[in-house]
Amino acid sequence: MTINPQVYSIVVSEESFPDKSVIIKEGSGGDWIYVILEGRVKIKKQTSKGMLTIETLTEGDFIGETELLKQSNVPRFTSAIADGPVLVGTLDTEQLKRDWEAQPLRLKKLISSLMQNLEDAIKNFVDLAEASK
Amino acid sequence: MKTEGKISPVARLKYANGDLIIKEGDFGLSIYEIISGKVGIFVDSSGTEIQVATLGPGMIIGEMSFLAGTSSPRSASARALENCTLEAWHPNMLTTAYKQMPTILRLITGNSLKSLVRVNEMVSGFSLKKIRAEAEHVQGSSDPWASKRKFYRKEIDKECVYRPVNSPKNLKLFGRINDISRGGLQMVAKTSNSLDYSHVPGDEFFISAQFKERQKVNMTAKIIKLQKGEKSGTISMGMTFTHMTHEDQKRLGFFLMP
Repeated sequence: MTINPQVYSIVVSEESFPDKSVIIKEGSGGDWIYVILEGRVKIKKQTSKGMLTIETLTEGDFIGETELLKQSNVPRFTSAIADGPVLVGTLDTEQLKRDWEAQPLRLKKLISSLMQNLEDAIKNFVDLAEASK
Repeated sequence: MKTEGKISPVARLKYANGDLIIKEGDFGLSIYEIISGKVGIFVDSSGTEIQVATLGPGMIIGEMSFLAGTSSPRSASARALENCTLEAWHPNMLTTAYKQMPTILRLITGNSLKSLVRVNEMVSGFSLKKIRAEAEHVQGSSDPWASKRKFYRKEIDKECVYRPVNSPKNLKLFGRINDISRGGLQMVAKTSNSLDYSHVPGDEFFISAQFKERQKVNMTAKIIKLQKGEKSGTISMGMTFTHMTHEDQKRLGFFLMP
């Protein structure tokens, strides 16, 4: 998959991560959004039974977007771990925030709701995984 | 509520406890904001309705179809869990705004939408397993209906008669059962049967077949998967049982063993 040029245009820096290194740590602060330029990234959540993989993302996918688009400053909900060597681009958060704030209220509500639903679905998934043996 | 445009794109609606607000599989684009009350989100997984979320005031329902575009059916049903007031937004008021949103924000939104669809599928898969496991726990593990295991398909070649569940009792369509297991069966029928009566996934049929001499077995099953049969002019239906009496289960005996 190729990276959309519009995405490239707001990449402010690139960063490489070796296999299994932590790109985003669950519970930490920060509102950067990354785009995966090369490689694969596993999204994981801490559970009573260890780390649970929620999904595997690949080139062109974003990581860390839910926190920015939820209209509140919240700790990172999941961890992002390199699955093999990974190259990510850090997006211009200030630009994204300005673009986001300029959107009509109802559209923002709608997208924030999507981000909230995603977190709730992940919570649900974790609960079910914890309850099963 | 005051809105842009001439016709009001926003309407306040009241729903009573239990009312269906959105039906899974329907095509609809309206978006709803919950003003008061609780709404449950349900998905159908192989005929079992599973509640995946409970939403309250300030939350939005129906945003997934809107974001996924006109061609996507509703991915879940929404039902009022108590008396509710909702504000319905006509999608047109947001379509333009969404189109004009910077590409990057739209891509990011699409990314999350894709994740949500994926996680929801895992949740409903998991819930279904749990519900089946609980059913097994309640009924005892000897009950052939409740097992979680994948079932061994017993190959047979048995003529059967069947008809859609809501059709007149004297209607007889003919088919052949190719294999049967605890979970369901595989049936082949002439394609012409499907010209007069609907044969699509989700359709439910009464099926009657004779497995041993003078022992007719009746069952109800629903189409899960439909494909062309090996012989031309035939269709092959993968079906899951929706109902069978205990007597008939006993008659089928061996065929329902795991």
